[in-house]
Amino acid sequence: MRILVAVDQHPYSAHAVKDVAKLAGNTWADVTLVGVGPKVTDIGQPSNKAGKKHPLTEELRNYRRNFLDHFEKAESPYEKRECNYEFVEVKRGVWEELYVCRGARKDLKILLRSGNPVKEILAQSQEDDSDLIAMGCYKAGDCQWEGAVNLPQKVANSAACSVLVIKEEKKIRKIACCLDQENISQKSVEMINQMVTLYQTELEIVGLTDGTKLKPMVEKNLNAILKYYNARQIKAWIKLVDAVSLASFISQEARRSMMALWMGEHSLLSKMFPRGKVDKLIQGSESSVLLLR
Amino acid sequence: MLRTLVYLDADLASSIALRYACQLTQVIDMKLHAVHVEEPDHDGHAPGTGWVRRTWESAMLKTGEFEIAQLIKAEKSSCPMLGAPKMLVGDRENEILREIQRESYDLFVEGSLHSFTAKKLYDKIHSRLYRHIPCPVIVVKNLVNLEKIALIVRDEIESKKLVSMFLKIFSGAKLNLDLIYCEFQEPGKLSSKGKADVNGTLNAFEKILIEQNWHPEDCRKIQGAPEEIGDVLRDYGMVASPLHHSISKKSNWFQLLSHIPSPILIFWQ
Repeated sequence: MRILVAVDQHPYSAHAVKDVAKLAGNTWADVTLVGVGPKVTDIGQPSNKAGKKHPLTEELRNYRRNFLDHFEKAESPYEKRECNYEFVEVKRGVWEELYVCRGARKDLKILLRSGNPVKEILAQSQEDDSDLIAMGCYKAGDCQWEGAVNLPQKVANSAACSVLVIKEEKKIRKIACCLDQENISQKSVEMINQMVTLYQTELEIVGLTDGTKLKPMVEKNLNAILKYYNARQIKAWIKLVDAVSLASFISQEARRSMMALWMGEHSLLSKMFPRGKVDKLIQGSESSVLLLR
Repeated sequence: MLRTLVYLDADLASSIALRYACQLTQVIDMKLHAVHVEEPDHDGHAPGTGWVRRTWESAMLKTGEFEIAQLIKAEKSSCPMLGAPKMLVGDRENEILREIQRESYDLFVEGSLHSFTAKKLYDKIHSRLYRHIPCPVIVVKNLVNLEKIALIVRDEIESKKLVSMFLKIFSGAKLNLDLIYCEFQEPGKLSSKGKADVNGTLNAFEKILIEQNWHPEDCRKIQGAPEEIGDVLRDYGMVASPLHHSISKKSNWFQLLSHIPSPILIFWQ
């Protein structure tokens, strides 16, 4: 699993890093922390006339420290253990003595990019082939980021992978995940599993009906998912929601639960929230939102 | 021994109801019987008469039998004591009602998944089956662990009748019980008051239960909107409540029952 955490200088980013550290501790994910800032030619030089260095460099260092602090040094999969000079074959027949640090079982990359934040975050997720993009956001109203209005919504609209928008310091009581597809990937189910573990919360699996009953295949999936979570001692509730009541259900539930939505190709949810319109969902939600793709 | 009938269809709700009913047999001295009704068509009419009808019904039953056998086989590990279900053909509600009356069951269990809208539960409560059913009903909305049950009380007048119905089912059961009195208010003012603040109704119920050797762990009054109280009650493995058939859809009491995600045990008043 590879997680991309997009950060800026606001407290919600520190909170997102903290949550992702917990998630990474459970999943042993490769993690990239990326900040997007103004263009600089030399990162070591002051970036403005006031003599200040690039505003994000120090923040990114702090986030790295906070991320690593979550792990016991001896057990951390991100800890570089031994650093020595070693001869390494750099091309055929040519060996170079390099200072090599070995031991980190998982990758923690800290990156600073410059340019349009949305484009840069999406570009990094493509380069990394990320499974999940995580971003922080204020819990009330629209998600204001440094210099970019509604950035999390824009990233969520366009990302090819799953997106987790972590609302700042909101205690999650329940994860409500909406299911109306016939094909739910194991990866998505595992992702929900991880979220339940991360937030130590209950799970509500929402089945969408056509007003009378569930599609047979969806019902079969619900049963399988319920058994999967029960076997892992995860308390899972089932709730049926008519497709016509879905909007009012989501607006009501998003006030108190983290919403996890499967946005598959044939999903009613993806029709309801097509690319370009999930911003409404994120904006209206006081809790974190997970879009599974 | 309590004789319990569980209704099975080849669906998720029945699968959950069956697993829950099997949990019940671990804590209550009861024998579980299963029934399935194969409905001829949407109007409830079978084609033809005599041999044609019998052959057609027998073919239908075979299909139904196969599906239910698959369901029972899938749940066999959690419910080894369940025998072969009774297979009937006809109108679902009429056949279940007849079966309950014929065999004098003490309790009826069926699955009905928890729904966001109240309509499903409302239609069920006002169905012909529930209007005429002579025994209490457990509507299994979700599969939960049956460790603690909540008995919701309303007024002192119905206390003796309610407690006697409760004791008929739970006599000798090893379960923790809480007595809950609900007071409905506007949303946003949820509060819970402990034993020191309880009113006369709770005291009356507690006294009768203690006389019968049942010692509630907690007696409390919960104040709040139906959906808020329903959310609080999700911690229980079962919520037992009295209910009148004439209950209206907009009443707080009905709204509360529809918001509880746990299985509900209905004592008809």
